[in-house]
Amino acid sequence: MRFGSVAGVRKPAGVMSASAIAGSRFLRLAAVAALLALPIGASVLAAGAPATHTVTIDGTRYEPATLTVNRGDTVVWINKDPFPHTVTAAPIFDSGSIAAGARWSYTARKAGDFAYICTLHPNMAGRLVVR
Amino acid sequence: MKSWLALLTAFSVVNGSAAFAQATGPTDPQIAHIVVTANQVDIDAGKLAETKGSTQAVKDFGKQMVTDHTGVNQQAVALATRLKVTPEDNPTSQSLKAGGVDNVKKLEGLSGAAFDKAYVDHEVAYHVQVLDAIDKALVPNAKNADLKALIVKVRPAFVGHLEHAKMLQANLARAG
Repeated sequence: MRFGSVAGVRKPAGVMSASAIAGSRFLRLAAVAALLALPIGASVLAAGAPATHTVTIDGTRYEPATLTVNRGDTVVWINKDPFPHTVTAAPIFDSGSIAAGARWSYTARKAGDFAYICTLHPNMAGRLVVR
Repeated sequence: MKSWLALLTAFSVVNGSAAFAQATGPTDPQIAHIVVTANQVDIDAGKLAETKGSTQAVKDFGKQMVTDHTGVNQQAVALATRLKVTPEDNPTSQSLKAGGVDNVKKLEGLSGAAFDKAYVDHEVAYHVQVLDAIDKALVPNAKNADLKALIVKVRPAFVGHLEHAKMLQANLARAG
């Protein structure tokens, strides 16, 4: 009973300041929102938890070159080359230098169709589609 | 039947001469030596650009050349060791090395924008030359499949370096 205990610490109405009134109203709204959010959260879970996808960087190429994911999914780029690469679609995402053998992950929060490149090897091109 | 035999004989003669022509190209130990030398020449020039470059873009590119070509060389040396191939000096390696020494000597006498331009111009020409050697001499002559695969696999990085160097060249021309 979290919300009950919050209500329990409320001061008598007569001594409540304007901000406290606004605060308690906010708390009540938050409680309602939290209750409403519960079934929505459950349906999101039913549709599938966020997935993790992998893009391999090997031979100065992104594989797969085009990847489609859902919002909230995570994409991990693994650099298998013996030198650094970047995954850059500024200003949406930019890995900076990913060292040889290292990896970089990005959680896709923004929907869209993003063309990305390696700033070190401009002949490399990839595409991340976020639904 | 007779004409088939004649055709087969003619074919094997042509094939034989093609095999002979290939045998005159670099051997695997020579190819391994050319790969290591080509990388080392660009590492040496890159080290100079890291310190003498007058713009951050040129310094960064020099540093990237050192990192990338060092990475490729570590892989090439590891492969040669695994295959028990001892890199063997040859005229192509010697010419690459001499060109590299000349370039470094020339760059050491330059500074500022003149250094940047000379370094980047040479990087463009050098990567063109190396890609040409990869396509015409190294890949067609490499016998060992792993050696050939390594060269084929690093080729796109050299294309990337060439494009990157051309971008720098265009930017320097605009700034100058």
